[in-house]
Amino acid sequence: MIIVALLLSISEVIGNFHPVLVHLPIGILLLAGLFQLLSLKPQFSSLHAATGIALFWGMISAIASCISGYLLSQSGDYDEELVNTHKWFGISTAFISLIAYLFNRWENVFAKWVILVMIPSIIVTGHLGGSLTHGSDYLTKGFSNNEASTAGEMKPIADVQEANVYADIIQPIFENKCYTCHNKRKRKGGLRLDEPSFILKGGKDGEVIKPGNAVESDMIKRILLPRNDEDHMPPKEKPQLRENEIEILHWWVSTGATFDKKTKELEQPEKIKPILLSLQKEVKKVMPDVPQAPVAEADEKAIRKLQERGIVVLPVGQNTNYLKANFVTVDSVTIDDIALLLEIKKQLVWLDLSGNEISDTILTYVSRLTNLTRLQLDHTLITDKGIASLESLVDLQYLNLVGTIITAKGILQLKSLPRLQAIYLYKTFINSAEWQMLKDNFPKVTLDTGGYSVPILETDTTVVTLPAKKN
Amino acid sequence: MTQQELNSKKIFEEAREAVLRQHTRRHFLKESAMGLGALALGSILGSCGRGSAKQVSTILYDPANPLAPRPPMFPGKAKSVIYLHMAGAPSQLELFDYKPELAKLDGQECPPSLMEGKKFAFIRGKASLLAPQAKFAQHGQSGLWISNYLPHFSTIADEVAIIKSMTTDQFNHAPAQLFMHTGSPRLGRPAIGAWVTYGLGTENQNLPGYVVLTSGGNDPDAGKSAWGSGFLPSVYQGVQCRSEGDPVLFINDPHGMDRDLRRASIDAINKINQHQHEEYKDPETLSRISQYEMAYKMQIAAPQVMNINDEPQYIHDMYGTKPGEVSFANNVLLARRLVEKGVRFVQLFDWGWDSHGTDPQTALDIGMINKCRKVDKAMTALILDLKQRGMLDETLVIWGGEFGRTPMQENRELVTAPFKGRDHHTDAFCIWMAGGGIRGGSTYGETDEIGYNVISGRTEPFDIQATILNQLGFDHEKFTYEFQGRPFRLTDVKGRVIEEILA
Repeated sequence: MIIVALLLSISEVIGNFHPVLVHLPIGILLLAGLFQLLSLKPQFSSLHAATGIALFWGMISAIASCISGYLLSQSGDYDEELVNTHKWFGISTAFISLIAYLFNRWENVFAKWVILVMIPSIIVTGHLGGSLTHGSDYLTKGFSNNEASTAGEMKPIADVQEANVYADIIQPIFENKCYTCHNKRKRKGGLRLDEPSFILKGGKDGEVIKPGNAVESDMIKRILLPRNDEDHMPPKEKPQLRENEIEILHWWVSTGATFDKKTKELEQPEKIKPILLSLQKEVKKVMPDVPQAPVAEADEKAIRKLQERGIVVLPVGQNTNYLKANFVTVDSVTIDDIALLLEIKKQLVWLDLSGNEISDTILTYVSRLTNLTRLQLDHTLITDKGIASLESLVDLQYLNLVGTIITAKGILQLKSLPRLQAIYLYKTFINSAEWQMLKDNFPKVTLDTGGYSVPILETDTTVVTLPAKKN
Repeated sequence: MTQQELNSKKIFEEAREAVLRQHTRRHFLKESAMGLGALALGSILGSCGRGSAKQVSTILYDPANPLAPRPPMFPGKAKSVIYLHMAGAPSQLELFDYKPELAKLDGQECPPSLMEGKKFAFIRGKASLLAPQAKFAQHGQSGLWISNYLPHFSTIADEVAIIKSMTTDQFNHAPAQLFMHTGSPRLGRPAIGAWVTYGLGTENQNLPGYVVLTSGGNDPDAGKSAWGSGFLPSVYQGVQCRSEGDPVLFINDPHGMDRDLRRASIDAINKINQHQHEEYKDPETLSRISQYEMAYKMQIAAPQVMNINDEPQYIHDMYGTKPGEVSFANNVLLARRLVEKGVRFVQLFDWGWDSHGTDPQTALDIGMINKCRKVDKAMTALILDLKQRGMLDETLVIWGGEFGRTPMQENRELVTAPFKGRDHHTDAFCIWMAGGGIRGGSTYGETDEIGYNVISGRTEPFDIQATILNQLGFDHEKFTYEFQGRPFRLTDVKGRVIEEILA
């Protein structure tokens, strides 16, 4: 028995080497193909000798990959169908490479044709293997701009009480945090979470959920283990479950892990109610205020000139060329300063001009800094007339106009700015009667009117003393 | 040889010896090691080609201009930090951690199994549980539990994130405060503010990057080490300002010294220091030169920014400030003014939260209420004021103590304290954060039914530090300083960004 177990564990270890080993035949056999191609030219004919060596080692490593790959597939962690295609392509590749090696050795004239067939076979096998580990969309992931899938946030639910608990609440959690390893394609630990029947069936070590008993359910137990524990799920380097998501899973399992019931049909303890309610709320998508597209480095000379003027110009982070600028210690901003900023307009995304004597004329220059996402114009001299020019700042998300003489009429001119998220309007010349009109005109923008006060309570200044011991 | 010749020879030799004495063994070793190292490095780099020797180190600080502004590792959500530390450790059970079960168990003996093997500052032997002294209610759309000790603060529940599962491993004030602010309970580590100033410099060259303000009658137990620079260059230590009188002592020129004379004398001192630096190449000398320069500029800038008299009356009403007195409220208003002027890190300490129940001042139902009344309005005003100025999203505000307080009533030598008080508790306390990319109206972590132990989301000071650095744009695992032959981190070998409370 012990020997069998030992052999099994050895085979498992060898199997685990498969993802490393496979790179050898891919590299060596492709190199053999390259040598073969080059040696057709007279000046590289000496490479012909190398082709044989490359083919030999490529073949050996291809056979080793097949063996280790077979052992890995025995773990049952992967989709059988996909594994099968990959397996047969792999075996064919190894076989073709063997033929290629032998033909090459016998100086058979068909050798180069066999090598020609071998190359696409390697590529297809490699791609199939890649799809198994990284997902079938791994090649194209970079092209698609599907933000929702990367954000990993749940879509808001219209009415959580009417929602189907499994389909609308539980499945999205599994999809975001578990599917990468537990689905049709890849089934780590023999577990699939993409269908109700598989969820109930469990994995290699048996059931993962005991309906109605969350504490005894392996899934919940593992989720609650400390992140550093080897058995913790999801593995510590993968995206973790949020606390709310854990509470929801716990609640779902303890109410019987149903697949067809609505929220209102299940018992809801006090604790879960606010969490469920929060699923109805629209999660405000946080838009990055630094563009994703890379940009060339800014002109150093312009930056130096600005710095000599006392203007702080810095990258927003070491990992990007985008810049921010502020005038915190500059007494007066001149048109020349803004002209210098125009030289770095491609990179400049955050600009702070607060507290400076910015006139409408200067503002027309500022409006040419079209990559700005954040602009601070608070406590400046700008007017309604000048602010119209900001219409050109199509990427603007944050605009601070606190302490200016802007009126509602001025603000309305910015209605067309598509990305605006927040405008700060404390201490401006807007009548309180106009607020509602403004808010209707900017449905997606947070208009902060300010003017908050903290009431004066009697207790603010009274002191509790000994006789008043009982509060 | 005449006597005179002998004398001059002797002086000459003494001078020579003095110079030689400057070359201590340490200098010799340091210089020869550096020299050999440089030679070796030169040959290695030479063979690699110059282009490949790109600096990997994260921060490059220029000793001649150590406070020059620098970019963070990645674009951070927060630009500056205001840290409100309630020195003495406020009771979480009277403020944020609502435990109705504890009220039912009032007066009953705490199960010995809970206290076994634990160390308390004062409690020995048996102790009985003490009901929460405050009344709790849920506030805001988010329904956060906040007690009636903080009537103003409860109106801004939707702006803050409360971490209810803080723990520490120090049960005395000074080490616990050091742990909170420097990542180590022992002396010698730089405080968070020093790390931040080292990483980011300061955008306003006329003001320090890291300012410390204290209130409550005493400095925190950890003393100035709580805002020290540790092994970082000393220019990064916190600058303690006074909220009454001159913000920095002797900031005004003495009678008879005008600005030009001051300039001339600073130039002369700097020249000597420059000379000194050329001889010994100690970067600290360069720091000193730049500090003289900053002091000169601060003479104009600091009194302006530290003068809260020019704030309008409605702002004073909002914060509850009275110009001219030393108070937490005045410090909070100052903090906002400093951040507005580009100061990176403003650290406040308010002393007097150590509610042991030994006298009325430290009673949970007397002294603590008074302390709450002194901070409640001002900290609420700070959040609202930052918000209306469009500054809250880039200013991270943190509020908390160095540890928590026990669910048991304090006893000393088995004698129950005369007033209602709680002992130091390391296993559970609360901290709140707001602004700077924090998700308002959220809570993180949970304690058991009597608030004794954390049952989910256990958080340590390292996690708070990692989160602060993350919001400013630093990866706490890569943000290091080379010292004694190895890189040091604020979070040592631990720390996790508390992503659950991030927006």
